[in-house]
Amino acid sequence: MPETFLDSTELVLNMGPQHPSTHGVLRVIVKLDGEKVTGTECVIGYLHRGVEKIGENRTYAMFNPYVDRMDYVAAVSNGLGYCLAVEQLLKVEAPARAQVVRVILTELNRIASHLLWLGTHALDIGALTPLFYCMREREDIMMIFEKYCGARLTTHAFRIGGLQYETYQGFEQECLEFCDKMLPRVDEYEELLTGNRIWQQRLVNVGVLSAADCKAYGVTGPMLRAAGEKWDLRKAQPYSGYETYDFEIPTRTNADSFDRYMVRIEEMRQSVRIIQQGVGRLEAGPVMAKVPKVIKPPVGEAYVSIEAPKGELGYYIVSDGSTQPYRVRVRPPSFVNLQSLDKMARGGLVADLVAVIGTIDIVLGEVDR
Amino acid sequence: MRDFLRKIFLVDLLEGLWVTLRAQHPKNIVTEQYPAARPKVAERYRGAPRLNINPENGETLCIACDLCALACPENLIVVGWERNAETKRKELTTFTYDTSRCMFCGLCEDACPVDALELTQDFELASYSREGQIFDRQILEEGIHPTPYKH
Amino acid sequence: MKRCPTCQATFPDATERCPKDGAKLAAMSVTMGWDAVEAPAEASPAPAKPAPKPAAPKAPAVMETEPWEGELPDALKEKFGDAITGYFRYVGQSFLTAKPEAAVPILEFLKSDWGFDYLVDVTATDDPAKPERFELVYILYSFSRNERIRIKARVKEGDKPATAVPVHITADWLEREVFDMFGIEFAGHPNMTRILLPDEWQGHPLRKDYNILGMDQKWVQENLGIESGQ
Ligand code: SF4
Ligand code: SF4
Repeated sequence: MPETFLDSTELVLNMGPQHPSTHGVLRVIVKLDGEKVTGTECVIGYLHRGVEKIGENRTYAMFNPYVDRMDYVAAVSNGLGYCLAVEQLLKVEAPARAQVVRVILTELNRIASHLLWLGTHALDIGALTPLFYCMREREDIMMIFEKYCGARLTTHAFRIGGLQYETYQGFEQECLEFCDKMLPRVDEYEELLTGNRIWQQRLVNVGVLSAADCKAYGVTGPMLRAAGEKWDLRKAQPYSGYETYDFEIPTRTNADSFDRYMVRIEEMRQSVRIIQQGVGRLEAGPVMAKVPKVIKPPVGEAYVSIEAPKGELGYYIVSDGSTQPYRVRVRPPSFVNLQSLDKMARGGLVADLVAVIGTIDIVLGEVDR
Repeated sequence: MRDFLRKIFLVDLLEGLWVTLRAQHPKNIVTEQYPAARPKVAERYRGAPRLNINPENGETLCIACDLCALACPENLIVVGWERNAETKRKELTTFTYDTSRCMFCGLCEDACPVDALELTQDFELASYSREGQIFDRQILEEGIHPTPYKH
Repeated sequence: MKRCPTCQATFPDATERCPKDGAKLAAMSVTMGWDAVEAPAEASPAPAKPAPKPAAPKAPAVMETEPWEGELPDALKEKFGDAITGYFRYVGQSFLTAKPEAAVPILEFLKSDWGFDYLVDVTATDDPAKPERFELVYILYSFSRNERIRIKARVKEGDKPATAVPVHITADWLEREVFDMFGIEFAGHPNMTRILLPDEWQGHPLRKDYNILGMDQKWVQENLGIESGQ
């Protein structure tokens, strides 16, 4: 067929900010050549609330509930990172029991975050059932959170120096019950999706981002691990006693959307393992370290990062010795990971764009802060 | 041959139906019939605020210390008080709590030294106007009266 | 419904004055709900929080750092000499201060020779009291060494430090965010525009002289058609 058979002009398509598969208020301007994506540009900031500015105008303890509202799907992880950063500045450490409870809750939250991702991602691809299954299990986690700290989503579960709440009666048992239930359920998701021919055709070799590219773009979390890099902050720079837990870092080598799915599925299993070990370690003891009522870290600065479900979540806090942080910088995994969208989507089909956005696992609350 | 028999006896279909049927077992039903059947929330649930009163003499427990107002990140609690000339103690006069800005973080509840302010299990906080979201002392002590759901 | 203009608390109509600070209450428009108090952009003081003492004399407040020694600082000393002004450690974290023009060459050198191939974050802090008010902070991580360091460089208002995009692609959005929030332009950046805030927004919110209540009221009114929040 001659080149000039049809006139072709570049088409600019606007996707979002209300598009259901953009997981929030992401707007992507897509340049198309036929069905092929030749370029994308993300327009973000629709959810910008100035969290960092708020942090400068609140005391250390007061800012704690706000960080939950960044990555609201994994609020507990956000809180953990913030508390660890302030504890680093104060040079205190949470007591052993508090650390174990923190690990259990954060891992539960990791499962919840991955479940929500799995459900919505499958929904984007066109599989409706997994969403219901995932929500059912997520509900159990939410119930544990609700019983533990009184809130389901924006939990405000941790305080600087430890925990505000003791565990409730039956906490250990409920966690174990959940773990027992969860493993067969994960198999069930795999049964639904992993071997499914449509699922594979939509995901395999879609949105490839090699390990070198991941590093260049600063992409962390399951995306980096799906590219074969065995890197997880829980192992590389352990915090909260993660070095004492026995778990694997799942990796894959193909660096495509399907491998990211496999990595996240496997991570859920590993989280279950960590929770089971953690429950066995719960011993009586204090849950709050000795921190002054008015938190006033000495002049200094610290960057503390944790492995959030989406990647490296860092807090860079500068203290000027007053009751309010001088500067709080959040290094959001979603924001940095989203930057690689253009690289992944370019050259693919427009239908794959939905899969690519889904596979990054972004939460716009964290992208825009 | 096996495949053929599977097709003849509709095995796949029956397997699928079995999954559906299994979910009908009362034990496996997870959907809540919300307005008709109210779910029971956890004991520590952080819902509508309440200002506790002493059940014996009906006086408020609040000692007007203003700690909750200082602890609140959103600065939405206002405690009004005046000093009783005789006893020289602070007495609570007004108490406003603006739930429209509240994020139910529980910091005020933690700060209260006498457990007067409490976030309760009441989760139905909707109202028809913004003013309805601003709770004064009376609402805080008596509880909110939401429009009940009728069929 | 009335609202106190200073502490933003709301009261029933009957109340005349705010019991907290005695300020006269202003009527509040309920239709849009948000604060319709005529709060001039600058004049509105910060909410009555446990007040941050306004620049109280706090001369002795300095970071108690330790010197950072080892083969990495030695190699950097040899390569960059005076361009790096100090090597420090604080709470177990290493950082160095450098002249702004040296920052990108250092990034490049660390990436090629020391395996610092992952730029974690680019951010800044603001201190209007200093002549070089902004401090750029680059956070680096090396997968092979499992080590994290920070590079800090002070720049003046109006300075245009070189962009790090040719070295680390990830600096693209991070530098745009620094520009958005602090107004530091990076020379040579491929697309130096605002990223989180709208393009027409006035001011750079994370500067210390940008009041938290003094947002761009005009933009909000023109584009959203509402009275500004807070
Ligand atoms: S729950 Fe939090 S936001 Fe609400 S009044 Fe209490 S301290 Fe303030
Ligand atoms: S902290 Fe408790 S006692 Fe003090 S003013 Fe608030 S409600 Fe009253």
